[in-house]
Amino acid sequence: MARPVSLVRLERVSKEYDGVSAVRELELEVADGELLVVLGPSGCGKSTVLRLVAGLEEATAGRIMIGERDVTRLSPGRRNVSMVFQSYALFPHLTAAENIGFGLVVREVRRAEVRERVARAAALVDCAHLLARRPAQLSGGERQRIALARALVREPDVFLLDEPLSNLDAELRAQTRAELKLLHARVGATMLYVTHDQIEALTLGQRIAVLRDGELQQLGTPNQIWREPANRFVGRFVGSPAMNILSSGTAVGLDTPPGAEVGIRPEHVMLGETGVEATVMLVEPIGSEALVHLRVAEAALVARAPADAPRSVGDTLRVSLSREHVHLFDAGTGERLPWS
Amino acid sequence: MELRDRRQLALMLAPYLLGLVALVAVPALFTFALALTEYDLIRSPRFIGLDNVRELAGDEIFHTALLNSAVFAAIAVPLRVGAALVLALLLHRRFRGAGSGRAAAVLPTVIPDVAYGLLWLWLLNPLYGPITLFLGWIGPPGKTIWGLALPQFLTHPNDARAAIILMSVFTIGEGFVLFLVARQSLPGELYELAAIEDATAWSVFRRVTLPLLAPILVLLLLRDTILSFQLNFVPALVVTDGGPPPYSTTYLPLFVYRTGFEYLRYGYASAATVLMFVLTAAAVWLQWLVLRRARFASF
Repeated sequence: MARPVSLVRLERVSKEYDGVSAVRELELEVADGELLVVLGPSGCGKSTVLRLVAGLEEATAGRIMIGERDVTRLSPGRRNVSMVFQSYALFPHLTAAENIGFGLVVREVRRAEVRERVARAAALVDCAHLLARRPAQLSGGERQRIALARALVREPDVFLLDEPLSNLDAELRAQTRAELKLLHARVGATMLYVTHDQIEALTLGQRIAVLRDGELQQLGTPNQIWREPANRFVGRFVGSPAMNILSSGTAVGLDTPPGAEVGIRPEHVMLGETGVEATVMLVEPIGSEALVHLRVAEAALVARAPADAPRSVGDTLRVSLSREHVHLFDAGTGERLPWS
Repeated sequence: MELRDRRQLALMLAPYLLGLVALVAVPALFTFALALTEYDLIRSPRFIGLDNVRELAGDEIFHTALLNSAVFAAIAVPLRVGAALVLALLLHRRFRGAGSGRAAAVLPTVIPDVAYGLLWLWLLNPLYGPITLFLGWIGPPGKTIWGLALPQFLTHPNDARAAIILMSVFTIGEGFVLFLVARQSLPGELYELAAIEDATAWSVFRRVTLPLLAPILVLLLLRDTILSFQLNFVPALVVTDGGPPPYSTTYLPLFVYRTGFEYLRYGYASAATVLMFVLTAAAVWLQWLVLRRARFASF
């Protein structure tokens, strides 16, 4: 059977709650088979975007298209989407198999077919051995698999994932993240994935939409978002530790246009024998590397450097920046400026 | 638990335990003892063994009271629990008027029993009671809209029994509040998921709400069964006076009350009370046997 056209399109979609704007005139397209990540800090409206596509919230303005269908006013059940919630939303009184098959059972699919499709979906996410258990008997990671299998079982047009990894511990999160990426490659489904975790966004997303206060800041591939942040917010939000922002290039010996701020990622701050003088204020070892907090003239700067170089608070060293790694932002608007 | 904590716990529990022993346990033991005696408050109790139980076995008024109580429990308990559930499901959301609706659902429960009984005495009056007048007004002359004769709540045996059940269906405040709180504590995401899966309202009720509320439902069914042997006492006394004749609304509590306080047969009344206790326990045990097979949600 031919796969339905699975393209999600948000056309100038807005959502207000009691006069407070959660999403503002959002324009967004998810291509067929694409995994698009909506990234942003808490309260930026990213979950609202997902809920708008799911139909759990009604758009105040604009149009939402899934394929050729205008679903703006359709009920959630008529949109043919699946959702994985942050809390997994598993029914505590049902077994894993019953949870996975819930959507099929309420649609009155034949029992034999339900069993077969549940087994298939469970095998896809490697949870076939858990089918007889209740959610209370499952670990966080296992619950997450059941929730994923439930989303897969119905073969919907679009998968909506609302921070599905945020309740897992760091190790399991990294493992599940990789599995999710493989799963997406295998089933080729259209996925809209919401997270506040930039690592998740950069590793999983084919494209990333960065949101702030309900407004789209930048839409691009992970590489574009990383290398050419559209504004100061994107530059600082994506990357850990955050990008250094200096009010001008003068302090670090760069000739920058007036009214331009300088952005430089900690890994691009070079410590050595050349450049301007800097004083070490703090050293934070993070395994093989260390974050070195510096004071350069009146500016504060963080550098990521090998941990084995002996540095201690109060040391004086020299800092240089390579122009190709320096980003310029308008001091007023925060928008990216070109090097002239 | 440390000694200090134990002492503190004992101190805090003491007033309740003292009351429980003095007002419940000791009188209960007395009742068990009195059940084996003949006692009229004037002469000293005389031990008669199981004579009271034998007499109860052949007492037709007791049989009628027993049957009345069983029928009342069988009809009133599901109606009361069902009404509390339906009202809670209707009123758990926030909307204009929800607060007033909730207050109206709880209000009859907080009205003193006798005042509530007197109110119904007026509502059910065959001449000027609003219920009878309304039924007569909407139907053909002298009949209801279903073509049946107008109910005679205070004079016809079955109508009177129906009236007592009707009265009990409005005093469901506690059950309503429990269901309301339980429903409001269910995670909203489960319902959102059901909406995304295109589940119908009935399907959501049957497959999500009801199983998740099952622990509360069982609790209320058991509690209401116990309560049903007591809560018809005031209505039967104030509204129907145990009648219409011969004993249409004489339930076990009224039978015990009359036997003890009007006929001064304390030993016999105690035996009936013990039997009532045994029957209540048996009813609860039977329900438990059936209900424990059901699968309950575990949060």
